[in-house]
Amino acid sequence: MINALRHGWLPRVVLIGFVLVAVQTTLAADMRPFGVSVQVVLAFAAAVGAASDADRGAAAGFVLGLLYDLVIGTPVGATALTMAMAGHVAGLGRRFRVEPVWWILAAFTAGGALVGEGLVPVVRVFIGEADPVGWRIAAVLPTVTVAAALLSPVMVPVARWALSVRESELKVPGDA
Amino acid sequence: MALYSPGRRRAIILLAVTSVLLLTLDLRGNRLFDAVRSAAGAVADPFQTAADVVTSPISRAVRSYRDYDDLLAEVTDLRSQVEAQRAAEIAAQNAIIENQDLLALEGLESVASYDSVTARLVGQSPTNFDQQVEIDRGSVHGIRVGMAATGTGVGLVGKVTRVSPQSSVIMLVTDPSYAVPVKIIAGNDEVGGSTIDADTAVPEVIRETGVLRGRGDDRLPRVSFVAGSAGFGRISAGDTVFTAGGSTSLAPPNIPVGTVANVITRPGTAGQEVEVELVSDLERLQFVRIILYQPPTELAE
Repeated sequence: MINALRHGWLPRVVLIGFVLVAVQTTLAADMRPFGVSVQVVLAFAAAVGAASDADRGAAAGFVLGLLYDLVIGTPVGATALTMAMAGHVAGLGRRFRVEPVWWILAAFTAGGALVGEGLVPVVRVFIGEADPVGWRIAAVLPTVTVAAALLSPVMVPVARWALSVRESELKVPGDA
Repeated sequence: MALYSPGRRRAIILLAVTSVLLLTLDLRGNRLFDAVRSAAGAVADPFQTAADVVTSPISRAVRSYRDYDDLLAEVTDLRSQVEAQRAAEIAAQNAIIENQDLLALEGLESVASYDSVTARLVGQSPTNFDQQVEIDRGSVHGIRVGMAATGTGVGLVGKVTRVSPQSSVIMLVTDPSYAVPVKIIAGNDEVGGSTIDADTAVPEVIRETGVLRGRGDDRLPRVSFVAGSAGFGRISAGDTVFTAGGSTSLAPPNIPVGTVANVITRPGTAGQEVEVELVSDLERLQFVRIILYQPPTELAE
């Protein structure tokens, strides 16, 4: 974390986090395709993982989730945990050394978002909510996942800028 | 290549453990977290105001296009309902005044005897698992955490869970974390097998108390009973549900909650539960009324 502060990614992620939480509480909370609130902060956390790696994805997801918990009022640590997992899982895809074309990054972002949103009810059960979700999850998970994939062409470049990911870091070894 | 190196495992485990630790501290109540939350809210405010200014025209345009037909049909429907309600309102006003006079004579409190603040909804829950709304009235208007919220009618809507000077967050009745003591009042037309003559006798009234809990916006809230009693089995669909009040309940007594939709008999000693159809239409909330009531136990602190 101290390294992150020194190298400059943490302030940028926090700044983007505040902007995205504001978008989350206004536009995303209002539009609701299929009655589901698109999770833009979660999509960004997953995009950070997809654009960098699992460790940075998890760290940035943790920071973004903590910010979300503090501003929105959800129990502190609940969203930090789910978004850290989202960033981590999205970043695991980079271990497969595939060409980072936009649709592969979109798939990684979607995978991370799916895991992150899917973990929310699990965490809710852990903190004592009985039966926190019904059949509605069948609409929530696909919508949040597809939205994250659609947002990734915007989120991934922003994530690269925020984490100062160099072009060479994205290339598969042996690429020209 | 190994998907998981020991270093990577350590990093994610450390973050997970930190999250669990923070959760535990927050759920046990921590003033430091409250202070940090207030500070984060203050920093986020300008971002939210700016985002609101930028995005509200987009939201409004999309909503106008999406809801136009529904709104038109609703306006027509509501106009005819208003016509029908006018006559009933005059009679009801008279009954309310009589009721107030009687309660005052007996020194009893009613919902109408508490001060209230009307507020406009300015935001919905940004998450998919919380049933919350934000309103444009806060602590400077006398609102405190725990106060009950009703619709512009009288039906219970939820309770205040977070207050800042100019805004508050209300947890809706449908939120899985919401719980409130309620009583079910069943007007029984039959006693001992013989039908009562409505003109000559007062019908027997069955009262059952229990706890109403939310179950998400796609499922009806349920009341689980505190204890079995003679009234069990005699509660049926259509019976009315009110808040029970009491020294520890955050909601005052006698706020209408809804009507019994289904009675669910569970096997063994689990007893009965009832599903409640809410009086308030939470989908179409525009304004809410916060009842400025705090139970004696809260006031004593």
